Amino acid sequence: MPLRWRTLPHLLLLTLFSVATSCSAKEAAFENTAVVRTADLGGAIVHVMTTYAIKSLANGQDVYTVAFTKKERDSTSFLEVKVKGQKDPLEIRERPFYANAKFTHVDVLLPKKLAENATLNLVVETIQTHMTEPWPEYAGQKENQAMRYTSDLYVLSPYPTLVQRTKIKALAPRIISFTNPENVGAFASDSVASKSGATVTYGPFNNLPATADYDFIKSHQQPVTVRYYHDQPVLEVTSYKRAVEISHWGSNINTEDNIILHNAGPKLKGHFSRVDYQQQTYYGHPVPHILHSLRLDLPPGINNVYYYDLVGNVSTSRLNIAPAVPKGQVAKQDSNLELKPRYPLMGGWNYTFTLGWDADLASAASYNKSSGEYQIEVPIMTPISGAVVDNLELKVVLPEGATDIEVVTPYPSRAMWLERQTTYLDTIGRPVIMFEYKDLTMRHAQKIYVVYKLSVKEHFRKPFVVSAVFFGLFLFTFIVRRIDLTIHKKRKTA
Amino acid sequence: MPTAYPLPSNVAPGTVANTASLIRIVALALISGAAIASRLFAVINFESIIHEFDPWFNYRATRVLASKGFYEFWNWFDPTAWYPLGRVVGGTVYPGLMATSGVIYNFLHAINLPVDIRNICVLLAPGFSALTAWATYMQVFTKEMKDSSAGLLAAAFIAIVPGYISRSVAGSYDNEAIAIFLLMFTFFLWIRALKIGSALFGTLAAVFYFYMVAAWGGYVFITNMIPLHALVLIVMGRFSNRLYVAYSSWYAIGTLASMQVPFVGFQPVKTSEHMGALAVFGLLQIVAFAQLVRSHVSDQQFQKLLKMGVIVIGLLGTVTFGVLTLKGWIAPWTGRFYSLWDTGYAKKYIPIIASVSEHQPTAWPSFFMDLQFLIFLFPAGVILCFRQLRDEHLFVIIYAVMASYFAGVMVRLILTLTPVVCVTAAITLSSLLDTYIDPSEPDVVDDSKSEANSATTPGTPANGATQPTPKKAKKAAAASTSQSTLSSTINELTSSTSPASKKSGAPRQKGIFGIDSRLLIITHTLFMLVYFVIHCTWVTSHAYSSPSVVLASSNPDGSQHIIDDFREAYYWLRQNTPQDAVVMSWWDYGYQIAGMADRPTLVDNNTWNNTHIATVGKAMSSSEEVAYPILRKHDVDYVLVIFGALIGYSGDDINKFLWMIRIAQGVWPDEVQESSFFTPQGDYRVDERATPTMRNSLMYKMSYYRFADLYGGNQPMDRVRQQQLPKQSPTLDYLDEAFTSENWIVRIYKVKNEDLLGRDLKSANAFAEGKKRKRSKPVPRRKALTV
Repeated sequence: MPLRWRTLPHLLLLTLFSVATSCSAKEAAFENTAVVRTADLGGAIVHVMTTYAIKSLANGQDVYTVAFTKKERDSTSFLEVKVKGQKDPLEIRERPFYANAKFTHVDVLLPKKLAENATLNLVVETIQTHMTEPWPEYAGQKENQAMRYTSDLYVLSPYPTLVQRTKIKALAPRIISFTNPENVGAFASDSVASKSGATVTYGPFNNLPATADYDFIKSHQQPVTVRYYHDQPVLEVTSYKRAVEISHWGSNINTEDNIILHNAGPKLKGHFSRVDYQQQTYYGHPVPHILHSLRLDLPPGINNVYYYDLVGNVSTSRLNIAPAVPKGQVAKQDSNLELKPRYPLMGGWNYTFTLGWDADLASAASYNKSSGEYQIEVPIMTPISGAVVDNLELKVVLPEGATDIEVVTPYPSRAMWLERQTTYLDTIGRPVIMFEYKDLTMRHAQKIYVVYKLSVKEHFRKPFVVSAVFFGLFLFTFIVRRIDLTIHKKRKTA
Repeated sequence: MPTAYPLPSNVAPGTVANTASLIRIVALALISGAAIASRLFAVINFESIIHEFDPWFNYRATRVLASKGFYEFWNWFDPTAWYPLGRVVGGTVYPGLMATSGVIYNFLHAINLPVDIRNICVLLAPGFSALTAWATYMQVFTKEMKDSSAGLLAAAFIAIVPGYISRSVAGSYDNEAIAIFLLMFTFFLWIRALKIGSALFGTLAAVFYFYMVAAWGGYVFITNMIPLHALVLIVMGRFSNRLYVAYSSWYAIGTLASMQVPFVGFQPVKTSEHMGALAVFGLLQIVAFAQLVRSHVSDQQFQKLLKMGVIVIGLLGTVTFGVLTLKGWIAPWTGRFYSLWDTGYAKKYIPIIASVSEHQPTAWPSFFMDLQFLIFLFPAGVILCFRQLRDEHLFVIIYAVMASYFAGVMVRLILTLTPVVCVTAAITLSSLLDTYIDPSEPDVVDDSKSEANSATTPGTPANGATQPTPKKAKKAAAASTSQSTLSSTINELTSSTSPASKKSGAPRQKGIFGIDSRLLIITHTLFMLVYFVIHCTWVTSHAYSSPSVVLASSNPDGSQHIIDDFREAYYWLRQNTPQDAVVMSWWDYGYQIAGMADRPTLVDNNTWNNTHIATVGKAMSSSEEVAYPILRKHDVDYVLVIFGALIGYSGDDINKFLWMIRIAQGVWPDEVQESSFFTPQGDYRVDERATPTMRNSLMYKMSYYRFADLYGGNQPMDRVRQQQLPKQSPTLDYLDEAFTSENWIVRIYKVKNEDLLGRDLKSANAFAEGKKRKRSKPVPRRKALTV
């Protein structure tokens, strides 16, 4: 079956080993007048915004290069570069790198060529996953949840930098400790680390050379660690499987999520005590690392919501359904589902469940009369706030006989393939598009668009097959009832 | 001919027959619908879930069968049950139920209907109950027995009678779900075979007998019912070639087929329960031979031969049977079987069997609850069977006698009584209705004579009702003669076998006069029927539709509140413990733990190893120091107890504790004594007056551990036993609380590892709490632990 690809024009392209176009001669042609990196610490994810105030040192430059350490790059699940104050992200290109490289380069295509001494403010936004860890690794049921985050002191850049700062922010102003870097005399005065409220600031560092350099890294780069209390459970979805099934006859789109939830906070020390838990909830002293319930925003206008796990229905959930809105309009409010796991999720515990719902097909699909194409939009996932989704598998089941399938993805998937699935009343099976993603966060909860054609003949395949089968059955009985197979004809007794 | 009410005259007999058959089909369809619908209370009130205990194992086995195929299932060795012994599942189950679901599952998947295996399992019992209703009608016996209207009544009864529903609601995925259908169908085929002397039907009966053997241990009932029937027929001198053909084909093929089920194996030729069938088979051969000889020799010679033959064969048979039993080739009766004759037997010798509530003798009210007014109609129906006493009536009579006895012995055997009650009640009710709906009036020669007749007629209502009738009868007699042909056709349709209508041509002496007496009786019967339906619905929805995995209570505002502690705890085990963590609990919960928590268990509801169960009982009833080595030796990681004191759930482990003690005492009479758990006054107490043995027992400690903390200094209260508990909760040294469910119903404890420094855990705990060791009483450094 032919499957065509389309990507939205303004999308990022993260093809890892694509051939980069920029050459190294241009690297010294910029100067960073100021670099500020702000890391917002969450539970499982860290949101990093780095602002580069750049100045062009040569005429007609349109490619700026940012550098990441290898570790940073590997844990970065989301990367977006914008000109400060503008909405549309810039196109970026990943440069090839060796497996044992310490840092990598990403080229940013600037919106226009820069003249000499022209300046521009770039904002590089990344989301890092799995960069924090609980420390200590174990916590009792009544204890606090402490996390630690380790990062590099200097922001890497292939260009010299005049002033650079690094800020690390926790959610609550409860920093336990932070590293006081030593041996920074070359670029700054002695006390470079300071804490105010929930923020730890490193810097300013003045007159840094090009930091994306092996010699610099060897002699000056050093790790800094911040330990902080985190007030929310650290959630990790180790596996998220979504299946979306479209039915034209039922005018229905069914979404089913299979979720394995893991509390990635400090593991429970000792055992769970119900008395203590009940006392904590009774007296209103909630403990940050226990997940009591989870609030999910589901689409408006859904019906038939079900929530169950491997042993059956879970009756401890509350649902508030917002009314449906016509396709294309922005919903004022989402449906809210407050779902409670069967048991409070302590640190290190797992819970798996299945959540599904039906919705009117019109809310997700539209029909283009001139081309005869159906277009449906499929959300990749339901965002779970603060959680990172380690592995996501999205399965879109199209109606039986769909042809000319096209897919538009907001960002490329790790893998994508076609399958065929035979389910209720199918004869030839339905085309299934599978997507695979890794390390997704709230920012990735976007939509995939699928376009396909479905001929009138295919629309009527099901009723035709079913009636044919029944007709066959009746015909069969009709014939069988009229055939006499008895060997010995009985004499009729009057 | 006079009629009590006008009959339509212009209807062709063919139309009447066609309409009647259409009505029959519609009625049967409605009955099937009612049978299925009334069993869905559990799904609607709760959810599509497997109920209780045994069904969880059947469900688990079915999943294995559906996912891995039949051969894998056949060879399935389950290492997680009866840890560390394991269980050969393929050879120790009746696979009929799982095979049935597996076949349905594969068939549906083959035609692209991917129905979840759980839903198939949940809905199997309602589906088969519809089949049972059909089989009951489909002449099971009633159509052979009486006529189709009685058949429809019987089908309707069995469709909704609580005695059958109790074992076949949606989700009650147990062997009985399909077994009752098989029972009825096998009996039907047997009667059919007997009636027409057909080897084909005999073979079919054998095939369904095989299915029954593969499905339920209760097949022994058939194994003995059919021979008994045959024997009675012989004794009554009703031996015929039809009996010979039917019985021989059934027995030969059925026995060979039944031996193909691994769990049954050679039992049909080796155990006493099956010997009756063999003996009757032999007897039949002899009688048949005797018949043959008699047709060839003279009477006198035959008399001599008969005497000789009977003596010789009788002696030979007895001696052979005795020798075989002594040699052990024929196993004596099993304990479960003895308990059928002596209800006190199990309590004395096999406490495990007695500890199951469904093995208790039946209480009188449960007959009424399960059968309602059918139980009153039942004897009448049996008596009605004597009126004709054909072979099939004899069968019903024997069945009724046997099943009544067994139903009285064991609660669960009401199930086998239910079908015959429905059949006989239907015969009674149908006869009653036939008599009173029948429009023909008795012939009136003259007034004085008819009044004399009506006065002597039994069954005619009070005199007041009979007085106006002669006038009406005269009026009816004046009606056109064309009616008489039609009314006789209708008569034949509605009451073809009723003795009165058979001689409808001759002037009738007995009968019912007038329409009001008819109406009175019919209205009353209808009222009874309606009330029966109401009763059935009420009992089904209130008593028999609880999954018992999920408990329901109601909120103050009347809405339903689900207490889901079992699944909460089982799911916790499944998600947050290592895959190979061994869980010890009382055997009741073994199947559920295996099914829902997917963890190895020490003992489960397949109570095949008494010693193993007694070991668990001993661990539960001993003190921590004694229990700990037992737990460690069995690799137990978690201990699970059910505790109802907080919300008043009476089926908890403290209430079952006495059985644990009794079973443990049966194996270790020196170490566990039931008497030491009772106060000197003979009370079973858990409060401050509880005996030290009770308080030190692992079960007591695990149940009440930290229970007093919940009351914050107030007096804790055990709501099940209505006793005030001590303010000081027991402490545990060798176990840790690992999980307690929301309402405290399920409590799970982790067995601690041995102390790293080699101390015993009690002193290690004392040290950790900062208590000084008492110098005066040194703890022996190394004490050999004896189990």
